[in-house]
Amino acid sequence: MALIHLEGVAKTYAAGRARVEALKPLNLMIDDGEYVAIMGPSGSGKSTLMNIIGCLDTPTAGRYRLAGSDVSVLDDDRLSAVRNAEIGYVFQTFNLLPRSDALRNVELPLVYAGLGARDRRARAERALAEVGLADRAHHRPPELSGGERQRVAIARALVTDPRLLLADEPTGNLDSQTGAEIMMLIERIWTAGRTVVLVTHEEEIAARARRVLRLRDGHVVSDARRPAESAPRETGR
Amino acid sequence: MSFWEAVRLAFDAVRANRLRSALTMLGTVVAVVAIVAVVSITQGLNRYVSQQLLEVGSHVFTIDKFGDATDMASYYAAMRRRDLRREDAEYLRAALPSAEAVVPSLYRSADVAWGGREAKDVSIIGIGEGYALLDDSYRVTSGRELGEEELRGGTRSVLLGSEVAEELFGPVDPVGRAVRLGGQSYWVAGVLAARGRVLGQSQDNRAILPITAFEKQWGRRRSVTINIRAATPELYETCQEEAATLLKIRRGLQPWEEPDFGVQTAEAFYEVYQRTTRLFYLGIIVVVALSLVVGGIVMMNIMLVAVTERTREIGVRKAVGARRRDITLQFLVEACTLSGAGAAIGLALGAVVSVLVGRVSPLPTRLEPWSILLSLGLALAIGVIAGSYPAARAARLLPVTALSYEK
Repeated sequence: MALIHLEGVAKTYAAGRARVEALKPLNLMIDDGEYVAIMGPSGSGKSTLMNIIGCLDTPTAGRYRLAGSDVSVLDDDRLSAVRNAEIGYVFQTFNLLPRSDALRNVELPLVYAGLGARDRRARAERALAEVGLADRAHHRPPELSGGERQRVAIARALVTDPRLLLADEPTGNLDSQTGAEIMMLIERIWTAGRTVVLVTHEEEIAARARRVLRLRDGHVVSDARRPAESAPRETGR
Repeated sequence: MSFWEAVRLAFDAVRANRLRSALTMLGTVVAVVAIVAVVSITQGLNRYVSQQLLEVGSHVFTIDKFGDATDMASYYAAMRRRDLRREDAEYLRAALPSAEAVVPSLYRSADVAWGGREAKDVSIIGIGEGYALLDDSYRVTSGRELGEEELRGGTRSVLLGSEVAEELFGPVDPVGRAVRLGGQSYWVAGVLAARGRVLGQSQDNRAILPITAFEKQWGRRRSVTINIRAATPELYETCQEEAATLLKIRRGLQPWEEPDFGVQTAEAFYEVYQRTTRLFYLGIIVVVALSLVVGGIVMMNIMLVAVTERTREIGVRKAVGARRRDITLQFLVEACTLSGAGAAIGLALGAVVSVLVGRVSPLPTRLEPWSILLSLGLALAIGVIAGSYPAARAARLLPVTALSYEK
């Protein structure tokens, strides 16, 4: 079943008098449980696509159905609720709140989900344990290494148990050793049954995905699937 | 997000920027100190004045030519009225059964001297029969009171205020000695009990002498004040009306005509006091309101800075599920926390000022509960008003814009 279904989705910006077509109309389906890498040079529209898939931005044309429901018509608050329930984000720059400790950072999505303090704490502790940071719960981001920060961010992405994990250059600010560790963690999450979409410009990282989308100038120029040992599911296209 | 969650975030944010938070609060602190201290002091002043006026002069009123003329025009108009005479007081005394005492008095100031020493600008009060019945401010502590014969006959006897006695005689007993008063010599009959000070003004720099002696010395061409004490507190108002009616008849006025004299009561004087001080309070309120407005502007400015600085934070919060109202609540509560903390500090400082003023001045200052509620209410209002625009701006940020914001 298609988790992500884009039909004629496009994004146009008004830059002064000129109109910039960041994303030309495109159709895309990503099934539940896929592991997709989006590649492309800067300006290719890969971040725009990522933001639209993540409901952080809305398309200027077309229709986007996430898990069957049309999210391109939702208002700001409903999109917040969708992001909260369905999507976990991992950013290149981690985007943790610097004044809050790891536990509070991981709890954050649960605060907005309306959970009580005790439940939040229990679930956040479990998520931190899953990424191997149970003992760093009360450290603030500035006291953590880059790899640890990204693990906190991953715990935050997982704490609401979303179906979709979006990672935007997750290893971009990390050394290769730590980056590899983070990729292993992300793949473990995929293996556990979640859909993973990541943006990268590193071939090495994209090569690990089961499907690679390449963008250039707002177009999808290739969509390659890698027949894999762990049975990839057929998409509807 | 729950309210308490927002309060917790607000305290974190306030703590994270201590100096800035303190400076932001300053406006509210100043305004609240002003409200609390000024209300406490002015209410203290009011209480003090009413105590002084209404306690001492309980059911005593006066009639004179001027009434409560408070401006020059009505004063000049009153000057042209016929004088009140000692005989008017005698007439009222005979005709007014509701009065316990009807006493004429005259006033001027003069120097009093004895043995090479001189007391300057002493209040000289010429007084008539029955004065001891008016109130207890004419009690003597040594010597004797002025007798009826003296009061009627113009004997040059005098009662000295305690301050005058002290100034002229020191340890010497003044009773039975002769003082020089406006070029004449007077026998000191007694010394009056001390009354203390009202608003720093001595009440004991006075000399009481028979009104007849006063007239002999300074002439009869002056209007007397008639002091009347009602027989009982219940008759207080009746007595005023009767006295006014009788005096109108005696002065040939019709009942519907305006009296050409003034009946003055402590209560009426207190009202004049309140009327004249109201403007003063109004001025203070305007100043306080201005400082609140300035404080509010400062706070809004700082909240706008805070929103800009924390654009990425807002982006992160929205990305993980914060709705507009969550963000609005967070920044509104933060603004209210700042103004509320400012109000708390202001209340504490205002209380200190109030207590200090109460200690060093005779004013019975007291923290007024309504001023505390008022300042807390105003502080919250500042927080809400100054916080809502920045909060709305923060809430409207799109996650994608907020996340890509570079400092």
